[in-house]
Amino acid sequence: MSKLLKVMVPVFLLALCLKVDAQVMGSLGDVQMDEREFYTMTKQMGQFIHRFNYEEDPTGKRLYASDKDYRNAAKRKDALPLLFDLDNPRTSGNLRNFFVEDLLKNRQFLEFLGGNWFSEVSAKFKWKGQDVDISLIMTLEKDGLGSKWVISNVFFSEFQKYFPQGELADREKHFLHPMSHELDFMNIYKIFNDPQIVEYYASTDYQPDYLTLFFYEIKQGTLKFNHVESVKFHVFQIQNWYFEVSWFNRSGYNSGWLISNLIYLKEEEKEALLKLYQPKK
Amino acid sequence: MKKVLFAIAFAFFALTGYQAFAQEPELSPERKQAIDSLALEKVRDLSKYVKLIGSKNTPWSEANRVIDRAEELFAPDAEIGVSSLSKTKIEYYRVRQYLERLMRLNYDRVEIDWYKIQYVSDLQRQPDGTYVGVITIFQTFKGYDAEGRLVYQDTTKKDITVYVKRKETQIGGRLIGFWDVLLGDMRVKETTQK
Repeated sequence: MSKLLKVMVPVFLLALCLKVDAQVMGSLGDVQMDEREFYTMTKQMGQFIHRFNYEEDPTGKRLYASDKDYRNAAKRKDALPLLFDLDNPRTSGNLRNFFVEDLLKNRQFLEFLGGNWFSEVSAKFKWKGQDVDISLIMTLEKDGLGSKWVISNVFFSEFQKYFPQGELADREKHFLHPMSHELDFMNIYKIFNDPQIVEYYASTDYQPDYLTLFFYEIKQGTLKFNHVESVKFHVFQIQNWYFEVSWFNRSGYNSGWLISNLIYLKEEEKEALLKLYQPKK
Repeated sequence: MKKVLFAIAFAFFALTGYQAFAQEPELSPERKQAIDSLALEKVRDLSKYVKLIGSKNTPWSEANRVIDRAEELFAPDAEIGVSSLSKTKIEYYRVRQYLERLMRLNYDRVEIDWYKIQYVSDLQRQPDGTYVGVITIFQTFKGYDAEGRLVYQDTTKKDITVYVKRKETQIGGRLIGFWDVLLGDMRVKETTQK
C-alpha cells in the first residue's frame, strides 16, 4: 500500500498542478473543462523521450541544456515512474525500481537519433486472397540532411514457415560432399529433391532475408497492404535493459505512450535480439 | 602524379564541403520557439476555420470560402487520416473532402471546441533539409438534433504535421530570408465517445 502511495502521490500532484502554462501558452483552446488528463497524457513519443530524460518540467515546459533543471537527477527520479503502465505489475514493481536506479546511477538517456530503437507497425495485408497480419519493423536512418524511417525487417508467420528450423541431425544428413566438383556436380539434383529443405544446402551461417521475400511478394502483386492495426516501440538504447512503449487510450492520469514491458537484458544477449530487428546492420 | 593529387584534393574538398553543409547547426531554442509560434498560428487559424465550417449558422457560400482558406494552410498532397474507437482502421480524406464532410454533417446544431492543452514536438530534419514537426491538440464535438437534444459527442486527438522550410524572397532588390510554415498530414484519433 505504501508503495502504491509512493507512486500515486506524484501522479496526483502532477495532475493537480494548476500551473500547466507551458502546454497552454498561446493556446487555441476555449473549452472550460477539466484538462488535467490530457496534460498528464504522454501525447507523442517525442514527449515520452523528453519526460524520460527530464527535458520537460512538471509544468510541461521544455528544458534545454542551458536550463538549471535540465536532466536533473532528483526530479527525474520522481518523474520516471509516471512513464510506466501502472496497471501492469510487470512495469510497476521492483523491476521498475531497479531500472530507474540504473538510469540515475549511470546517467543514461534516450536519444531520438541514437539508434537501437524500433517501431513495430502491426498491419493487415491481403496475401493470396486471405487477410494476414504482418509486423513491419521500422528504424530511423540518417540520410542526406536529415533522417527518415525505413523498414528494417518484417515478421510474417507464413515466411517463417518457409524456413523451419528442423532437427540438427536431419540437417546434417543433407550436404554435397567436398569432392563433388570432380564429378561435375552430378549429385547436385539432390538439393532440389525436397523443396521444403532446399536451404539445408546453403551455408551454415545462412539466414533467410524476410524483407527481400516481402518486397518480392509485393512486387508480384500477391501481397497487398490493407491498413495499420497498431504501433508500438521497442527500445534497446539503455545498457542492459529492453523496454516496450505502447499507446494507452484510457481515462485517468496514466495514459498515452507508456512503458508496457520491461526486461533486464545483458548487452551480449541483446546482440542476437537486435539481429531480428535489424538483420543488415 | 599531378592528376592523382588533384583527384585527392578534389575528393577532400567535396567531402568536407558536404559535411559542412550536412552538419548545419541545429535550430537554437530561441529560433525553435519562434518557429513554434508561427506553426501554432497556422493551427490556430485552422481551428477557427473548422469551427466556422462546422457551424450551422455559417451560410453555405461563406463556409465554402472558409474551406478555400483552410485548404491554403496545407501542403497540396496533405491527407487527413481518421479513426474512431469502434473503427480503428484509418479512413483517408483529402483536406477539402474532410472539411466538406464536416460542413454537411446531419445535425441541427454543432458545437466544436478546442482544449487549451497542446503539445509541440521538436523539429527534425528530413533528408531534403526541410524541418518537420507535429503539433498535438484536442477537440470536442457535440451534435444536437432539432429538439436541442445532444445526440452525439466525442473528443478527438489531432496530430498535425508541420513543415518548416527556409526560403528567400526579393523585396526592393534585397534578398530577405523567411521561414515558410505549411501544414501536412493530420491524424485524427477519437479518445472518448458518449
